[in-house]
Amino acid sequence: MTTPALLCRQLIKTFDGTRALDGLDLSVEPGTIFGLLGPNGSGKTTTIRTSLGIYKPDGGSVQLLGSSDPLAVRRQTGYLPEERGLYARMKLHEQLAFLASIRGLSAAESARRASAWLDRVGLGARAESLTRELSKGNQQKVQFAAAVIHDPELVVLDEPFSGLDPINSRLLKDLVLEQRAKGTTVILSTHRMEEVEALCESICLVYHGRAILSGRLRDIKAKYGRNTIAVEHGGGPGVLNQIRGVQACDDGGREVRLRLEPDADPRTVMRAVLDRVDVSSMRLDEPRIEDIYLETVGAAEPRR
Amino acid sequence: MSPALVFKVARREYLARVRSRAFVLMTVFVPAFLGLYLLAVPMLGRSSSKDLRIAVLDAGTGLGTSVAERLRAIERPHITVTETSTIEAADPAARAPYNAAIGDRALDGYFLLERADSAPARVRYFAREGGNPVLMRELRLAVQTAAIGRLLAGTGVDSADVRRAQQLDLAVVSVSDRGEREGGFGIALASTMSLAMLLYMAVLINGQGMATAIVEEKSSRLIEVILGAVTATEFMAGKILGVVGSGLTQLGIWMIVAIVALVQAAPALAISSAVSGFDLSAVLNARLLFYFAVFFALGYFLYSVLFAIVAVTCTSTEELGQSMMAAILPMVVALMVAISVISNPATTATRVLSLVPFFTPLVMTARVNVLMPPLWEVWLGILLLVVTSIASGWAAAKIFRYALLMTGKRPTLPELIRVVKA
Repeated sequence: MTTPALLCRQLIKTFDGTRALDGLDLSVEPGTIFGLLGPNGSGKTTTIRTSLGIYKPDGGSVQLLGSSDPLAVRRQTGYLPEERGLYARMKLHEQLAFLASIRGLSAAESARRASAWLDRVGLGARAESLTRELSKGNQQKVQFAAAVIHDPELVVLDEPFSGLDPINSRLLKDLVLEQRAKGTTVILSTHRMEEVEALCESICLVYHGRAILSGRLRDIKAKYGRNTIAVEHGGGPGVLNQIRGVQACDDGGREVRLRLEPDADPRTVMRAVLDRVDVSSMRLDEPRIEDIYLETVGAAEPRR
Repeated sequence: MSPALVFKVARREYLARVRSRAFVLMTVFVPAFLGLYLLAVPMLGRSSSKDLRIAVLDAGTGLGTSVAERLRAIERPHITVTETSTIEAADPAARAPYNAAIGDRALDGYFLLERADSAPARVRYFAREGGNPVLMRELRLAVQTAAIGRLLAGTGVDSADVRRAQQLDLAVVSVSDRGEREGGFGIALASTMSLAMLLYMAVLINGQGMATAIVEEKSSRLIEVILGAVTATEFMAGKILGVVGSGLTQLGIWMIVAIVALVQAAPALAISSAVSGFDLSAVLNARLLFYFAVFFALGYFLYSVLFAIVAVTCTSTEELGQSMMAAILPMVVALMVAISVISNPATTATRVLSLVPFFTPLVMTARVNVLMPPLWEVWLGILLLVVTSIASGWAAAKIFRYALLMTGKRPTLPELIRVVKA
């Protein structure tokens, strides 16, 4: 077994009497893309900051890249915070070169990489523009470049896709995959389940400062089984709700997703669907990460 | 602490400061305004010397005619005595027409001379504008000369001689183990004030720029990226050094401009300095300039650190605006102390105050200017200043490390003290 790129054990962090982290466990395999999921305010950002040594934990331990002191290995990490921020009045190239140089690169190497990265994110022609003259999406790409310009062993991306158009989203996705291909460990914190589905090998679902679900995405899905029927029939859930064996019905707009009770027979349910509505397509599906997310968080929700 | 990283942070901060619009504007405008001021002061004096129409009302002192005569003899401003009247009583009814004339701008002012028991006369000057000290001095002299003239009548002493005697000036020469030096209060005040003003401007522009940058870095979380590469101490040290560098650059530019301007404009200045009794050679001596530069640099350093401390506890630029006063206050208090020191350069209180680091830059400069203190005191002040600045910078880094964790809420003072002690 290889040493995890990040290992958190029983992390506790309290702010003014509120437990932001309440015994969180986390293990990230090196060289993989890891999804950190959870509702707003569940403790994702606190987990990231504590893992990177920005916060000191009140309890528990962090092992980052094999070191128990995250600050000792900080040059080998990269971080894209959720709040978008760069020096507004600095030129793009100068800014990237500065951020590269404080990570220990020589001035010449910093300048070379800054140029290469600006070209890579399609902003080569704007190297001399001030950062504040750029659109939000373009600033975000620069910020991503800043997070990885020093070739870190581990990079943490907090909501990297928010606010990006499809083209830039695509570009960023490619860049993330490129990082993994180089062997970089990527921790991705996001609310966009389709990105998790497309990119992540493992996930951890954080809720009220605890990991309520974690593991390889493949294993998690296997545990849930192929218990979902996706139906396209040009209508809403309507009567499908009442079919015996259907536990829940999720109206996805074009598609209605029926989650089956554990002991229900999918073939019986599918027949019942065909009897009731005019189906244009139907398939037996594994649960999407979104379904698992909703179900797990729903179950963890304190009963009122 | 890695010097290379401190240098990189300092370099960025320095360039950000020096390229900022505020820096460029202030570097140009401060000398420009100072130059204009120097040129304008004599002109202001001249423009106020317009012709005046003044009446003299004598309520039984018998001085009226002679005061009128003296008023006419004043060269600048030229005074027209519109009338010299004798009135029965100085009651409001008698004055009413004259007040009305002032109201109609037919008259600029009038004298009212009354009998008094303990003095030759009780003299009042009624006017719309009575503030001009130069005019008031002339008027007072005119009345005094008239009164003395009457006392001396028949003694053979010329009242013009008395007047010349009254105009004698007192030149102050400071004597120390370094010899004699002309000038005292005026020069000390002028150079302390200019140090204060330069310090104030430079700290305000550069310190505020740095403070805003720190708050920006905090609120944008860019700081979390930067602190992934440098320590809080390296970051703080770099910031402060960058700002100190930009301040010294500014001072350097100002000094070069000042020297060039003085050399170029010496003849013009000679005229205005003759007016105000200002001796340039006394200001421009090497020792004074040396201490001026030393105290500027150190004071600037300490006050910049104060700005940094205030900035790291703020989470938004609005908050920063409200808190900035805390960083500016010590400088303002120091200036007030320094001004009082100029008149009491050798008291124990002064000696103690000049060793309090927050006051040292201005107060010690004032002392050096007025009466050179023992060298060991000056250097003790410098040492204390350096130590305090470094300690404050270190405390700022600690507070910074702590305040960084806080979003939305500001650390309280007891929390800060706990953090610094820890």
